[in-house]
This record gives sequence, C-alpha cells and structure tokens, in this order.
Amino acid sequence: MGEHLTFIGSVTAQLVRAVPVTLLILAVSGVCATVLATGLTAMSVARSPLPRLIQRTWTFLFRGTPLILQIFMIYYGFAMVPWIRHGLLWAAFRDPVFCTCLAMTCCCSAYIAEIFRGALAAVPRGEIEAGRACGMTGFLLLRRVIAPSLIRIALPSYSNEIIMMTKSTSLASTITVLDITGVAQQVIAHSYRTLDVFCAAAALYLLINATLSTLLTALERRLDVDRAPTPLAPIPPTLEPLS
Amino acid sequence: MTVPPPVLTATNIRKSFGDREVLAGISLEAREGEVISILGGSGSGKSTFLRCLNLLEVPDEGQIAIGDVQAPLTRNRHGRLEVSDGRAAARLRTQTAMVFQGFNLWPHLTVLQNVMEAPLRVHRRDRDEVLATARSLLERVGMAGFHAAYPKRLSGGQQQRVAIARALATNPKLVLFDEPTSALDPERVREVLALMRSLAEEGRTMIVVTHEMAFARDVSSRVVHLMNGRVESSGPPAHMFGPDASPAFRAFLSPAAL
Ligand SMILES: Nc1ncnc2c1ncn2[C@@H]1O[C@H](COP(=O)(O)OP(=O)(O)O)[C@@H](O)[C@H]1O
Ligand SMILES: [Mg+2]
Repeated sequence: MGEHLTFIGSVTAQLVRAVPVTLLILAVSGVCATVLATGLTAMSVARSPLPRLIQRTWTFLFRGTPLILQIFMIYYGFAMVPWIRHGLLWAAFRDPVFCTCLAMTCCCSAYIAEIFRGALAAVPRGEIEAGRACGMTGFLLLRRVIAPSLIRIALPSYSNEIIMMTKSTSLASTITVLDITGVAQQVIAHSYRTLDVFCAAAALYLLINATLSTLLTALERRLDVDRAPTPLAPIPPTLEPLS
Repeated sequence: MTVPPPVLTATNIRKSFGDREVLAGISLEAREGEVISILGGSGSGKSTFLRCLNLLEVPDEGQIAIGDVQAPLTRNRHGRLEVSDGRAAARLRTQTAMVFQGFNLWPHLTVLQNVMEAPLRVHRRDRDEVLATARSLLERVGMAGFHAAYPKRLSGGQQQRVAIARALATNPKLVLFDEPTSALDPERVREVLALMRSLAEEGRTMIVVTHEMAFARDVSSRVVHLMNGRVESSGPPAHMFGPDASPAFRAFLSPAAL
C-alpha cells in the first residue's frame, strides 16, 4: 500500500513536469486559432465571393478530416517534400510541438470561425442599425456595437471549444511530444502500471479543464450585464417611472 | 415672414424589393421646425421610406439632401443607385437621428453610456460636455435616476425615453421616428407621446411614422398619407382631419364607416 502511494506520487511528479508542454500547445494553438478564426469570420461576410469561398473551403477541409491525420500529414508528410526538407522552414517542421500547434490552429480555427459566424448572425440587427443610424462605420461599429454582443453570444460555445482543445493536445504524444499523455505512455512502458498512470494523467487534464472552465465562466458572468456591478451608481431599488 | 430653410429634401424616391415596388416615387421636404406625420396602412412602405432618408436602405431612384448636403448616391455601371462614398454617407447620418419601434438600445452599455456613445465616439466631442448634455437629457426624459441601469432592466416606455435621449444627444438637425409607440403598453404610450410633443414644441424637426392619430392631428405641422408606394394625399392636419380630406385617407382613418 505504501509502495503504491509512493509510485503514484512519483508518477504524478513526472507528469506535472509535462504540464507546461501541454499548456504551451494549448496556449499557442488557442491564440492562433482564435486570431485566424476572426479573419475567417470576416472573410465569411466579405462582399466579394473569393474570401467567402476560401472560408468555406477551409472549414470543409479542416472540419471534415480527423485532427490526427492533419498532425501526421504535417509532421510526417511534409518531411517528404524536398523544398520543405531542405528549405528554411525545416527547423520548424521537424519540431513536433510546432507541427501539433500548426495542425490544431488550422483545425480549431475552422470550428471557432463557425462559432463566431453563428454568433455574428445572432447579433440583433437593430443594435447594428442603431449604430449605423448615428453615423458609426467600419471598425468603430465593430468594436463598440457588434463585438460586445458577438462575444457574449459566442462565449459559451467558445469555452466548450477550448475545453475540447485541451483534450486534443494529447494527440501530440502520437508524434513523440512528451506532453502529459506522452510522459504517461513513457512511464507505462517502464512500469506496466497502466491504470494508475492514466488515472494520474486524467486527473491533471481534469484540473486544467476545471481551471479553464472556472475562468471562462467568471468571464461570462462578468460580461453579463444583469450580474455585473453597476459602474456609476447604485440602481434605485424601484424601477418605476419617476413621473 | 421668411420661410425656414429645408432640413430634408427627398425627391422622387423609388425602391423595390425583388418584383415588389414598395416606394413608387415619393418626394418630401421638411423645413426647420416642421413635424411631419407619415400615416399609412401596414406594409405601405413607411419604414422603408424613413430608412431611405438616412440611407439605411439605398433607394433605387431619387435624391436626398440633408440641409444643403446631397446624399452621395451615384449610379453604378449597371445603372443602379449605390452609396458612392461610405464616409460621406456616415457623415450625413451624423446630422440625423433615428428612434426605432424596438428601441434598439445597446444592451451592453448603461443608460448613460448609451446616450453618450455617439457624441463621444462618432462626433468626438469633449467628454465633460457630452456628460453634461447626457445628464440633462436624461433629466429631461425623466430617466435621470436610471443612468447606471442596463436597458434590459427597464420597461419599454423607459427604454424608448432613453432611446429618445440618445437620439437627441448629438443635437441632430432631423429626428426620424419609426412607430416609436407601437411596441408599448397603452399606459406607456402616453409618456412617450408627451415627450415627443415637448420636442415638437421646442422646434425640433421631426418625421414621425405613427398610428397615433391624436398625435398626428394635434402635434404635427403636416400629415402625409402613404398608399401603394405613393403620397396619396398630404396637408396640414386641419385639412387632413377635416371634411375635405381625400376619400382614401378618410377611409384609412375609419375603415368601419365605409
Ligand atoms: N429588406 C426587405 N426585403 C424584402 N422586402 C421588404 C424588406 N423590407 C420591407 N419589405 C417589404 O416592403 C413592404 C413595405 O414594408 P415597410 O416599409 O416595412 O412597411 P410599413 O413600415 O409601412 O409597414 C412590405 O411588403 C415588406 O414586406
Ligand atoms: Mg414599419
């Protein structure tokens, strides 16, 4: 029994050292995918057909194929392409962490763009018209009227996507990355104590996702004007007309 | 007596949606201080006409000028009118304001922020001045105690009064109202109409699409009846609500009497 606990303790310590790798992949691909998704969303409502076609094709390709295949294609496939193998980019494409981040950015940007697109369509037209009617255009309208509503509408689905991404980072272990899952498999290869090790790894993923989802829920509550603290003065207790 | 200068000149406005011709050539001039009520059956193109005036809708034909600034409408190579200069169109809109049937306040901003938004961000006026104006406007519409509330928490009548304060915050030359009381409970209609009457009395130039006949009769300087995409008849309320009004307008007023 004592030996068992010691083993779990030492495994957990080893797995915790791999947490930064998992978080790095999540952070890089999360940020890049969100930025790319913003661009794709803009393309999806462009006036000219070409950007719209690009967005639709992007979504079709990256949402329609397994992420693990995309990772393999980038990591193993690109190594077969001579101009990549012998080009300046090789330093990046030989790095499995880079390849994972790239694949996840492409794949998840397609999903996030769909979330943003749906949210954009759900922003009440009247709010936008009120902005246009008083002379707002372009970036001002986007920043002051569209984005605040869009973010509030998109946030629940977006949070969900980030949680999914956390779990997807484990695919990096299939191309030699020593993230939480990669280290877990390594330890199992030496110790054969499969269940203990995977349970410890699962606990770490749970911890990461619980933290993320707490943060995102806090953000959601903060943005919800019905709960937010009033910025200027207390609202009078009765909301009856004054006259 | 000198005639006040025109604030709005709309000439021969036409608009179709697909095959359906909604506006079949409407002209309207509003002089400073005039209150024009636009009446007409549902679907007669009242909203579409109003939305053409501030270019929320681009007319197929016609010209619009606010003051002496012509709206930047030019024909493209297919012969259709389009807004040739988005910035100029936006600048034109900054001279007008619109009050909507559904209020359309920005839900993520407080009452005070809603009122301050356009003068602050679009007109880039001085913050202290904007704040002072916003506070006095909220006072005026009876919403001063609610400056920190979010729109969702307010009743429809309260939201519409805030929306009117928001419309006035930039001191526009022309205020367009699209059925401002149609979404309100009967008790709330009165408070909004009283406010609009006081705006008319202080000389605001207003174009009001409404179904409130008492408002049209007592407050407006001119009544315009839209029917089948045209001005069926128009005139001062004394004429329009008198015995010599056009039969079609009389029928519109009391369909049961026919
Ligand atoms: N964006 C649009 N696309 C297609 N048809 C429209 C659009 N806006 C209005 N219409 C049609 O134009 C007609 C006039 O509408 P509207 O101006 O809203 O009338 P009113 O405000 O007088 O009730 C209606 O038949 C309506 O269905
Ligand atoms: Mg209407």
